[in-house]
Parts: sequence; C-alpha cells; structure tokens
Amino acid sequence: MSDVEPVGGPEGESDGAPSSAAARLAVLQRVGGIVTPLITVVFAFLVGGLVVVATTGKNPLTTYKAIFDGSGLNWLLPWETCSDPCTAALNFQQTLIIWIPLVLAGLAVAFAFRCGLFNIGGQGQYLVGAIVAVWVGSSFQGLTPVLHILLTIVAASLSGALYGGIAGLLKATVGAHEVITTIMLNWIAVWVGIFLFGLGGPLQNDTQPWVPVSNDVAEGAKLTVFWGDPILQGLHAGLFVAMGFLVVFWVMLNRTTLGYEVRAVGFNPEAARYGGISVSRNYFLAMAIAGLFAGLAGSLDILGWQYRLNVNDIQVSQVGFIGIAVALLGRNTAIGTGLAAMLFAALVTGTSTRNLDPEIFRPELASNLTLLIQGLVVLFVGADVLILYLWSLRRKARLGRAAAG
Amino acid sequence: MSERSVLEMRGIVKRFPGILANDNVSFDLKQGEVHALLGENGAGKSTLMNVLYGLYRPDEGEIRIGGKPVQIGSPRAAIENGVGMVHQHFMLIPVMTVAENIVLANEPRTKGIFLDHAVAETRVHELSERFGLAVGPRDLVADITVGMQQRVEILKALYRGADILILDEPTAVLTPQEAKELFEIIRSLTAQGKSIVFITHKLNEVLEIADRITVLRRGVRVETLAAEGATEAGLARLMVGREVLLRVDKQPAEPGDSLLQVEGLHVVDDRGIEKVRGVSFEVRAGEILGIAGVDGNGQTELVDALTGLRRSEGGHVVVGGKEHRNPTPREMLDSGQGHIPQDRQRRGLILDFTLAENIALHDYCYPPDSKWGWLYPRRLATRAARLLKEFDVRGGGPQTRASSLSGGNQQKVIVAREVSRDPRVLIAAQPTRGLDVGAIEFVHRRLIEERNEGRAILLVSLELDEILSLSDRILVIYEGEIVAEFAPGVSEEEVGVAMTGGGRREAAA
Amino acid sequence: MSRAWEIFLARLPRGARAIAWLGIAVGILAAWLMTPPVMLRSPVVPVLVGAVAVALGVYAFTRGVRRLGAGAAVFGVLGAGLGLLTTQSGEANLEGVVVWSALFAAMLRYATPLIFASIGGMFSERSGVVNIGLEGMMLMGCFFAIWGADKTGSWLGGIAIAAVAGGLLALVHAYFAIHLRADQIVGGTAVNFLALGITGYLFIDIYKDTGTPSDIARIPDVHLSFLKDWYFVGPIVGQLNLLIWVGLATILISWIVMFKTPVGLRIRSVGEHPRAAETVGISVYRTRYAAVTLSGVLAATGGAYLSIGFVGSFNQNMTAGRGFIALAALIFGKWRPFGAAAAAILFGFSSALADRLPVYSESGAVLFRSLPYALTLIAVAGVIGRSVPPAAIGKPYVKQ
Repeated sequence: MSDVEPVGGPEGESDGAPSSAAARLAVLQRVGGIVTPLITVVFAFLVGGLVVVATTGKNPLTTYKAIFDGSGLNWLLPWETCSDPCTAALNFQQTLIIWIPLVLAGLAVAFAFRCGLFNIGGQGQYLVGAIVAVWVGSSFQGLTPVLHILLTIVAASLSGALYGGIAGLLKATVGAHEVITTIMLNWIAVWVGIFLFGLGGPLQNDTQPWVPVSNDVAEGAKLTVFWGDPILQGLHAGLFVAMGFLVVFWVMLNRTTLGYEVRAVGFNPEAARYGGISVSRNYFLAMAIAGLFAGLAGSLDILGWQYRLNVNDIQVSQVGFIGIAVALLGRNTAIGTGLAAMLFAALVTGTSTRNLDPEIFRPELASNLTLLIQGLVVLFVGADVLILYLWSLRRKARLGRAAAG
Repeated sequence: MSERSVLEMRGIVKRFPGILANDNVSFDLKQGEVHALLGENGAGKSTLMNVLYGLYRPDEGEIRIGGKPVQIGSPRAAIENGVGMVHQHFMLIPVMTVAENIVLANEPRTKGIFLDHAVAETRVHELSERFGLAVGPRDLVADITVGMQQRVEILKALYRGADILILDEPTAVLTPQEAKELFEIIRSLTAQGKSIVFITHKLNEVLEIADRITVLRRGVRVETLAAEGATEAGLARLMVGREVLLRVDKQPAEPGDSLLQVEGLHVVDDRGIEKVRGVSFEVRAGEILGIAGVDGNGQTELVDALTGLRRSEGGHVVVGGKEHRNPTPREMLDSGQGHIPQDRQRRGLILDFTLAENIALHDYCYPPDSKWGWLYPRRLATRAARLLKEFDVRGGGPQTRASSLSGGNQQKVIVAREVSRDPRVLIAAQPTRGLDVGAIEFVHRRLIEERNEGRAILLVSLELDEILSLSDRILVIYEGEIVAEFAPGVSEEEVGVAMTGGGRREAAA
Repeated sequence: MSRAWEIFLARLPRGARAIAWLGIAVGILAAWLMTPPVMLRSPVVPVLVGAVAVALGVYAFTRGVRRLGAGAAVFGVLGAGLGLLTTQSGEANLEGVVVWSALFAAMLRYATPLIFASIGGMFSERSGVVNIGLEGMMLMGCFFAIWGADKTGSWLGGIAIAAVAGGLLALVHAYFAIHLRADQIVGGTAVNFLALGITGYLFIDIYKDTGTPSDIARIPDVHLSFLKDWYFVGPIVGQLNLLIWVGLATILISWIVMFKTPVGLRIRSVGEHPRAAETVGISVYRTRYAAVTLSGVLAATGGAYLSIGFVGSFNQNMTAGRGFIALAALIFGKWRPFGAAAAAILFGFSSALADRLPVYSESGAVLFRSLPYALTLIAVAGVIGRSVPPAAIGKPYVKQ
C-alpha cells in the first residue's frame, strides 16, 4: 500500500511522525507551563475532597488543612509563630527527608520517560539500592567515614543501575516491553529482600535471631544530620546529594551528547536511527541511569535515617510508585519533578499516623486517600490531552490566518 | 451513458482550521459515466468526496442522489444511499481474508450468531464473476498483490450495493499494465449501469478513461468540460493557473570517478520476503542516477540497505573506496553518504526538536557541536542560523520547533543538513513528495547544483516525470532486479513497459 | 466434526518445527522422569535425555527454525538441570512436593484468576486498547466480591457486584483512553493506583477493626462424585470450584465469539485497522468501549474468585501483580484465548510448585514466591517466539 498523496492536513490522513508518550508530555509542558500541573492537582484534590465528604461526612478543607500543618509546610509561612520545640519545623524536616528519595525516584521515572520508556521499576531499583547500601554500610567496620559513605552510595547506585539495566537490556535486545519486565523485577526484588533479611536469611542481623531485620549501618557510615535532632530523625546531608543530582539530571539531558541521543530516541526512534544514533544502546543506558537514580535514593534513605532494613519496610515501601506520579506531574523536567516531589512528600508526611489527628481524619484512611490522589493525578495527566488538542487547533487557526492574510 | 443525473452536489463548503478546502463547489454525475475529478495535491478533490462518503460533514451545501436530497452523516449512510468508495490508502485488514474483508459489518450468519464463512465465500465468488474482478476469497490480504487488493476494495463497495463508485487516485499503486486492467474493469462497470467518480492528478489517465472532467484548484471548481477535445496542456493550465514548466533546465553531465558501487545486493523485508535480488550498479561523481519503478518493487528496501537502516543478506556497497557489508547508519554517514529520506516526518526530522537540533542530527557527536560528550547548544544555533538563511527556510529560526514548519520548509531543512555535510554520495528518496510547486522547483534546482559540484546523486522516485527530467542515467527496478537502463531522452512509454517487466508479467495476479 | 479434525491436523507442525517441539517435550521428560511416580535416581538419566533434547533443538535450529530450536535446547538444559537437582533431594521430600494430582489441582486454582483476566485483556487489546489496568480491575473484584457477598449474603451477589465494580473502573479507563485519547499505559497505571486507593480506603473504613467476616458466603465447589475415585484425574477435577469450570468454559466461549461470530470479526477489525472498520460503518468508539468494559468485568470476576472462591478474605493489594502476569500470559499466548490460557496455566503451575517447595527450606520458601514473576520475566523476554499484537493497538483513534 503506497503513500503517494501528501500526508498531513485535511486532504489526507495525518500519520506524520509517531507520537510517543515523551513527545506528548513535552508538548504539554510547553503548552501549559505550570498552569496545567496546577489544574491537575486542584482537580485531584477536589475529587479527593468529594471522597472525604461522601464517606466520612467531614469537612474536606479541615482535613486538608490538618494535612498541610502535619506536613510542616506551614513552617514556611512567615506569619506562623513557632513555639519551642517547634512542631512545624520538625514536620518540615520530615517532609524534606521524604522529599529526598521521592525526587530521586521521580527522576528515575522521568529520565526513562524522556527516552520513551515507562520505568515502573523504580520500586525494585530503590530496594536493590537499599539492600546493597545496608549490606555495605553494615560491613567494613572501621573504614574512614567519608570513604565508607562514598563506597556505600556508589555500590548502591551501581546496583540500582544494573537492576534497571536488566530491563533496558531486554528491551534493547529482544524488545521486551519494559512495563511488564520492570514490574516483575519489582516483585522479585521484594521477595529476594524478604528472603535476605527474614528469619534464617543470609543477611539477617547477628544479634537478634527472632527479628527479621538487617544489621545496623556502621556509625561512621551514617550521614550527618544538619538540622534537627539526630535522635529524633533530623534532616541529613543527603538533601544536598539529592539537590545535586537534580542538577545532574538537567545537565545530562540538555548539555551532553548522551542527553541529546536520549531525547532524540524518546521523541522519534526511527529518525534517531536515521541520524546514526543507536536506539538499543540508548534504551539500555536510559534504564541503567534511571536505576542509578533510584538506587541512590535507596542508599540515601538507609544512610540518612533508616540505618537498617526491616522485612516489613520492604513490603510497605511505596517510594518507587509515588515516583511515577511525581515524574508525570512534573512533566519529566527537573524543576517539575522537584516541585511535584515536594507536594507528594508533604502529602505523605501530613497523612502519617504521627502527624494527623485521628479526630480529624483516620490516618490509615488518609494514606489511602493519598493513593487515590496519586491515581487521580496520573489519570488527569492524560486529561491534559484535551488541552493539547485545543492548543493544536488554535495553532492551526493561527497558521491559517497567517497563510491567508 | 444516459443524461440522467444520479448525483448532484451543490454549493459544498468545507472548512478546516485555517483552510477553506471546498469553496462553494458543485459537482454532478450522470448515470453510467466516468467523471474525473482533476486537481493538484491539496486542491480539495479528496475532501469533496469524503463529504460525499460521509467522512466529513459539509459546512454548507446539499447533496442529491437520484434527485432526492439526502443527509450523509456517516459512511453507513453513504452506503445505504448506494455510494461506495475505494480509498487511496486501502481500507483493508491485512491479517484477515479477502472474504472477511468484503463482508465485514454485513456478515451472513447461521443461526443468528455465527459467521457463515461458506456463504460469504460464495457471494464473493458470484460478485467477482459478474463484474470480472478476479480474487481468491480465502487469501489473506497481506499476501495478495496490490492490484488484487484494489479489486477487493471495489468488490467491497459492490457487495454493499453501490451504484456510485468513488475511486481515489486508484492508479497510484498500480503498474501500467494493472492500470490498463483497471480501466477495463471501469468500462465493464459503467456498461452495467454503475457511475464512477475518478479522482486523479494524472493528466494522461484522465484523457484515456473519463467522459467528463471537473478541474478543482485551491478548493474552487474551475471548469467542467467534456474529455473529448481536451488536451494535456490545456488541462495543466486549468489545474495550476499558469503555464507549467514540465522539464527542468540543465546542462549535460560530466561524470567523473565512480563514488558509489553496489555489488550483488540482496535484501529481505520485515516479513522475510526477498525484495532486492542481486542488484548491482554504480554512480559516478557529477551524475544523477535515477531509479524508476512502481512502488513495492524493492526501492525502499534498497535505499534502506544502502544507508545502513536495514541489513542485507548478501552483497556489499562501496562508498568512496571503502567496502561496507551490513553497515550501521553511523558507518555510512561517516563514510561520506548523505540521505534525504522518503518520509521526512517519520525519519528525516524529529518534529519535537528545534531546527538547530535537527540540523545537528548527524553531527552532534563531533566537534564543534560537542567535545568529549559535552554539547554546545550555541554552536548548534549559529550553524543552523547560517544554513537556514542560505537555504531560504521560512517559518522560524534555529530555536523553532520543526513541527511548526510547512512541509516544503521542512524538506529544505533536511536538504540543507544533508548537503552541508559535504557528502560524496547523496541518496534522495522521494525528495519532492507532498511538496507544492515552489518547493519542488527548489529541490530540483538544488539537486542539479549538487550534481554540478561533483557529487554522486542517487535519485529514487515514484514520479516518472521527476526521474525523466533530472536523471543523467535511468535504471528501472522491477521485482527487486534492475531490468533496464536508459539514456535521458527515453520516452515515458518505454520506461513504463520496463517498469512492468518488459511485458514478462502475466495479466492475472 | 471431521472438518475440525482436518484443520487440527493441518495445524500440526511439520518437519523441523515438529522436531523442535519434540525437543521441548524431551527436555520436559528429562525432569519428569526424576519425579514421582517414576523417580529414577541415576544422574545419568537427566543428562542423557537433556542432551537428546539439546541435539533435537540444535538440529531444528540449523534447519532454520531458530526460536523454537533455541527453546528446545534451553528446555533440554533446564530439564537436565532440574533432573539433576532432584537426584540431590531426598526421596521423601520429593514425594511430599511432587504430588502431581495435588499440583495440578492447585495449578488450576492459581491459574483461574489469571485466565479470567487475560481473556478480558484479550478483548480489550484485540479492539486496540492496551489494558495495563487489569491488576486494578481484578483488585476491585477482590474487594467488592467480599463486600457484595457480605451485604447480600450470597456469593452470586458478590460476583455480580464485583463484576459491576470492575466494569465501572474499566469504563473510566475506556473514557480516558478512547475519548480523551490519553496515553493508554499511563491511564492503566493510574487505574491501578485508583483501585489500590479505593479498595484500601473502603477496606479500612468498613473492615479495619473486625477484618472481613470469616463466614462470608464462598463460591461453592463442584463435586463430581462419580469422578472422585478415578486414578489421577479424580483428585484433580473431582472437586474444583465452580468458577474454575466457568473459567475454562470462558476460554472456549471467547474463542468462539472472537473467531466464529461477526461480533468477534468486528472487534478484531477495530483493533487492526480502525479507519477501515469505520468506513464500513462500524463504530470504533462503541466497540472499544464495550470491549474494555468487558475486560474489566472479566478481570473483576477473576478477582472475585480470588477472594471469595480461593482465599476467603481480603487484604490490601492482594492481587500482588497477578494482573500483570495475566497480561504477560496474553502476550505469551499471542492474543489468542487458548494460548493465553495455556500460558496462564503454566504460571499457575509455577505458583503451585512454589507453594510446596518450602518443604526444603523455610526461609528459602520466600524466595520461591518469586518464581512466577521470574518465569513471567523470562517468558516476556521472548524465549518462545515474538508475538505480533493487533496492528492498531495503543494508538488512539481520531474520528474525522
């Protein structure tokens, strides 16, 4: 079936260039700037509020206010005073502590997305990083702290990269769909982790054989806490690492040839091939780098405040999945991911049992509410397609007026 | 052909964002006639017929069939009114059989819920006999020839009781021999009382098959005239509105060394069918070698293999003295080859990249664009600005997204990129597809210029006119083999005969 | 009848392909010979038989049947390896683990949710809409079956409400994918999050303090008393849950619908070439909506079986990735009902085996839980052939 007529426009079907998810999200970013993500969030919270009203009959605004206070974001507001000890400050520290892995998990999804790949394996890559971090961190006692920390972080990040690279390699060589492979890898990581640290497992701790937990990380390997009380989980230096890697993300994508190739493949693999770019190599690299971000997140959590890995932690952790919503809301950009991560970190902290008054809203319900809002955000990212459509109509009209006039 | 009108379209207006596709167009069809709808790309022919077939709703105007006004809001309504359409891009499902495709949505049933394959095949057989359209009901559409696919499309319409048949550029995909067969079929159909609308932009066909001709230009009906007494030149003037230069000015070639040699190339397509069967040729510096052929005879796979986008099963390519077997695209790019791809939006450009980034598509990994993996966007932009000016690209600057440009300007960007790399060998595949006259002239002039600079240019095109006017030597590819070589002065008929295998091919497909 | 036999014979592989399939069978034989009831103990046996399988595979490979040939070789090696492993284990352990009839019965129980979901997925994907949300739809079925059975007091009510819940969630996915033309994978992921949130929320709200009722109305088993004492077959099929039979019937019915009725023809046409279908008057939108909703209903039914047929209770995220395994089964089965079901049964077998392996090692038991996921991973990596999806899958359809 040949294609002699021109493509595009009303005369013929517009097949044009293939429209990848990366391409469409990129257009959304250009078109909407910050407005569409804001609308998305507002929408999602609206629906969440409706759920609150419908099921508990309580006022959603008070619930949201309680969550807001619980997250510590009120600490940023200049008109709020703070007694000593300042709960808002404590809460904000908590939020930031959660921001660190979330932003990195978001970058893990975002980087892969820019290459046209949907990395749902952030959770597994994060776990692998955490497992390796706790192992390296609790071994090598007596190593100088700086070296120990460096070694742990590098080992964890590389493990995450390898784990992500598996999915990338499968995609590059046999074309296996990364959605399914990464999800399978997630579950494998969970079960392997439970095995390693469970009762009788090879990495179970040496001192309490009835507790399924790992060894503690060595004192020297723990990251310094610079704000807050280390005993009560203060904010650790990992914050700067995370911020640094936010910059690394941007630089890699926009200032290196690797980033050029990744973006090209993400937008149009066929044209990228024509240009001389190796598509399979980039699929592998993108997934590996994504895994690196997630593995790093795991190590920062372990060295920053967790210090050990519990079988329960492994099963309950959701960081990688929230990362998906973070990346999508942030339109796969550096700044967007950073801001979106802040939103979700606030949500998580604000709805935790410690911070949410059960009188206002039951915390276990609230965490599911967060899940709901997460799902709505991801869902409504798709609704932005409407805006995309309207925008393209406007543009055609503008072009038409220019041509006619 | 009687005087009775089976179809009248009056005052049809159809707007799209920014374009007035049909501007108060009127069209009528008499029973038993073949009425050609003639016009350039973008003139509004397909739009008008899509309105008739219910794929579009007209903004204004009315349609009368058999004298009665009708509302055609969907293809289903069109079918009910006896209108059938054979689209230019076939609406056939490759993984299903001929019979399944024909009876789709009007399936014969047993016991109300099961599909009756036997009855379907019988009915297809009956229709095929009655109208002389030979098909095999159990064949998979993916396995049959293009000519037979078209017959299936026609049968689809006849199965649903179409009395008015719209054929949209039907000969675009046919060999000259198959086109002749199609004309026979058309005559047989009109003899049995069917009326046919024949959309085309090819002048010679129109004069051969049509009874009347309606010319559209830029959405407006220019004239309706009888085919008898019309001339090609006259029709061309009506289509374009001015004297059309059908040939490009050029001096004779002075070919030098052989820069591209192809030896015994064998290429297999995605489905494992051998599409290029031992092709050998060479292109010398300072000449344009044109490869003519009907679509589907291996040109696409040949170009893919030459540029490294597809593996070859045998043979090799020598560019600038270096031999390549199964190269990667990067290897061929680095050895001095340039490629203007046949699909500029799928392959030639990354629409979401800026023009600067697109121009750097091959060379981003070399200095000065980058060093040790570090990219310098400003250098990309400077070079792009220079090239955009030199090639007179309108519609934006280095930071404009490629998607904002018109087709012609997009193609200019691609040409600019390929030519500025100073390639030894330039492969141009369908370089003027979908372009307006001005852009076509630009590309042709540029190709001649590059040839005068001493490059070896391989031109692969489905437009015979283009090949004939640009090439210094002409090869014809047929079923994966080079079957003929011609000098520039050759006639269209001679080339056309070679394109069908020199009469070797049988009539039945 | 004889025509069906003709077609069956014609579809049997010939020549080198037959050799490759034989190689796969021999590879399986290499392991099977070492298990009860045959339970040979000499390590020579699996190595020899495995070598035969590898040889057959290589032969097929050199004759051009590359994928299957490689697969046969892989099976040969795996079979030999597994066979060797069994020689290392005690006979008592082996007899405890490898009770074929119990294994097969468990296999069917594990496979049924997968069968429902993958057949549901087939309808959706054949119509051109990717359905990553099968997991979420199944989860909705899990929870709402319990809630429905609780509220109505009957398992039928539970299934009905579960089906409606799954259908509604599918409708959301359909709307975003079809009308709003959102990216279907993103939409499917969103649907999964939503299902997690909704079911978790409602579960805690309604059942947190007391847990799900322990006397919930369960889907009954079908007792075939005349079969129960038959050797080998009896323990397997004599007492299967009703929904397992319904699932098996669904395979057949969906095959008939998809390939023998006009409805199926239209669904497939919409998934292969929607523009062509539209031009003959089929409504692409309506067909896709129906297909996606059906997939939700079926997946939820599978979830209902999981909660009120198999386990008997609900806990958060109890589907644990089954929806994705079902999707993998669909791809593995080339979007055909029997193929998908066969793959689902294979995955079910791995779960059944994983259940019994803890005999060997308590902590290792956990590791065996990852077996189905690892198997899915290998399957998706394309060990046996590359599947060709419906041509228009995943691409939103734009009505003119």
